[in-house]
Amino acid sequence: MKLKSPRARFFISIAIGAVLLFISGRVDELRSYQGAQVAIFAIAISSIVLLTGFSGQISLGHGALMAVGGYSAVLVQSHLNLPYPIAFLIGGAVGGAAGFLLGIAAARLQGPYLAGTTLALAVGIPSLANQFHILGGEQGLTFDIGTAPSWIGKDFSQYRWFFWVAVVAALLIYWLLRNLLSTRYGRRWRAVRANPTAAALAGINVGKAKVLAFTLSSAVAGLAGSLYAMLLGLVAPLAFTLTLSFTLITGAVLAGVSNLGGSIVGAVVLVAIPEISGSITSHLGGSEKVTSNLPGLITSVLLVATVLFAPNGPKWPQRKHQ
Amino acid sequence: MLVQRRTKGGIFAAALTAVATLVASALPAHAETGVSSSTIKLGITVPLTGAAAPGYNKIPAAMKAYFDYVNANGGVNGRKIQLVVKDDAYSPAQTLSVTNDLILKDKVFALVGTLGTANNEATTRLVNSHGVPRLFVNTGFSGFADMKKYPTTFPLFPSYATEAKAMGKYIADNLAGHKVALIYQDDDFGADALKGFATAGTSFVAKIPYSALSQADPSVVGKWVTSIVSAQADTVIMFGVTSATGALAGGLYKAGLIGKVQMILGSVGSDGTTLKGLLGPLAPALAGSIAASFLPSPSDATDEYVNLFKTVNTQYNPGATFDNNVLVGMNTAMLTVQALRAAGTSPTRASLVKAIEAKGSTWASAAFSPILFCAKSHVGYTGYWFGKLGLDGNAVSVDGPGKYTLYTTDSGSAPVVKTAAARPAMPAKGLPNN
Repeated sequence: MKLKSPRARFFISIAIGAVLLFISGRVDELRSYQGAQVAIFAIAISSIVLLTGFSGQISLGHGALMAVGGYSAVLVQSHLNLPYPIAFLIGGAVGGAAGFLLGIAAARLQGPYLAGTTLALAVGIPSLANQFHILGGEQGLTFDIGTAPSWIGKDFSQYRWFFWVAVVAALLIYWLLRNLLSTRYGRRWRAVRANPTAAALAGINVGKAKVLAFTLSSAVAGLAGSLYAMLLGLVAPLAFTLTLSFTLITGAVLAGVSNLGGSIVGAVVLVAIPEISGSITSHLGGSEKVTSNLPGLITSVLLVATVLFAPNGPKWPQRKHQ
Repeated sequence: MLVQRRTKGGIFAAALTAVATLVASALPAHAETGVSSSTIKLGITVPLTGAAAPGYNKIPAAMKAYFDYVNANGGVNGRKIQLVVKDDAYSPAQTLSVTNDLILKDKVFALVGTLGTANNEATTRLVNSHGVPRLFVNTGFSGFADMKKYPTTFPLFPSYATEAKAMGKYIADNLAGHKVALIYQDDDFGADALKGFATAGTSFVAKIPYSALSQADPSVVGKWVTSIVSAQADTVIMFGVTSATGALAGGLYKAGLIGKVQMILGSVGSDGTTLKGLLGPLAPALAGSIAASFLPSPSDATDEYVNLFKTVNTQYNPGATFDNNVLVGMNTAMLTVQALRAAGTSPTRASLVKAIEAKGSTWASAAFSPILFCAKSHVGYTGYWFGKLGLDGNAVSVDGPGKYTLYTTDSGSAPVVKTAAARPAMPAKGLPNN
């Protein structure tokens, strides 16, 4: 069995999952929460890697697509009483549908125009919640997937359960994306990214390839959004701000935008930054002003350093065909 | 040989650690989380950065100052109070994240004065599952008094519904016939207010909702002014945070409407000093605005609580201007100290909640309103007085300095009652002796 075959990847995913879930029983609640955060951010960042790194399109509005997914999941769960795994899938599907519509426009736009359009989306979509009563306004809507089923074990903390759900989702997404990228779709996207004209001459429908990439990327972001809603226990406009969109892009840049595996590293860095800055200030005894502004400073410095010293992304172990 | 000895030493150390850990974990838990023999650790989340920060970012320092004052005078049953402060930038996601840190990493005994309606809502699941007492939350959302949904949460401030009802009564008594417009933050904060005004029977020529933090956008403020002008309103109620009041005053000034439109400010958005900081030379534009408050005016030199808090502020919080936010912080801290004292010499989270329910209504506090805490209710203050902002930004009671008429009611359908203000006398030196 080759290591790169879909089946091999499936077993590798299961092995990684088993190890992670075993670890989850050995760490405290805070680490479980952070673990779940990492898994969710990794999914969200991988959606940007798929879009930017593989199809050459840019989006500053993935936070908004997460909001679409999150709100959809919460609405179907509360109004249709559907079980939450289905709510998550619908969150992804609605995110994908929104991405499809956006993708049709996006395929005709490039560079700064595409960035501007998606930026407008990031600003506009969350504030829609204030226009429609069903979306709960500024206060948002609560979302509760409940505790772990009893057969899994007693004393299973809420955050540990979130960690399990998020990790299973993340591994599934990775397995799917990894396989997809080694099919002809993946090759087409890379061709489009490298040189759209050459790709068109080679018989690739560039527009179609771009729309497909946008749709898939948005579906993944939508799923990440519904998992994010699970973690926060609510959806609210303030939870899907422009800052979230920029945070994801920062994660993708730190990860190296064309490296799927790197998105895990990006997610770990994003979650670790507040932790690191917290321990720095507690050692140095800084004021509250320093404490609250240090995470932003660290993120910015890392971002600038990455762009200056490793413009193609840090050299995480990469695959040859990338 | 040396290597072997080291290994042996290592094994010995490891074994010792393991035994020590086992013994430690087998010992009965003596102390409650966050309580040691010499300290009690509390936590607070507030916006220290971002659009909602001005004003509120002064509250934690004021609380710390009062705790330091109590600590310097023996603490609570010999324990010193520590306050861990976390910035949430008014974002519920951030609030949950830092509250995780407070409860799971810093292991605080209780949360106190956590700010924001959606922010407190986001951490409710965590707070409830760990049974963490959440004292005197800094929001007037009446829902937090629901003891089934929030068994360990104690709102202190009168609810926004109470405030709106009191304001409605004040308008009916003093400003009958005026054309009133209402600007409100479009969340539970504003919804609560709308409910109160509806009960009071106040009618509006315009109702203008805005989403939280959008007051930083000049075009939003432009829309408010346009709506006020097109509805021909001569009175406008601002039911929002302080930065929104500042934005409104700036907008009215630019439109040349100062003096033509009477502003009525909710207690959340009427701190004079913060407004002065936000508005700079425009600050006098606010003079004459009517403001609702439950605490005494920070400029009232005849008030014993105000005078004590001022002294504490000078000594333990040097450089901070004494204003409503400092007053709120110190008053919250004073009630917290009484709650901790009442929780007993070995306080637990459960004993703290019980103590507030059993004795909270008798405690000393600067507000003129009675406190209603009991085993059946987690409602704190219930009343407001009305004042006019002077040129210094501080409110002076409409009945004259030092005289306060209280408008008392509930969040439901009870009528608004006007009474003369009364409250427990301050304990000697402002140090609780309950």
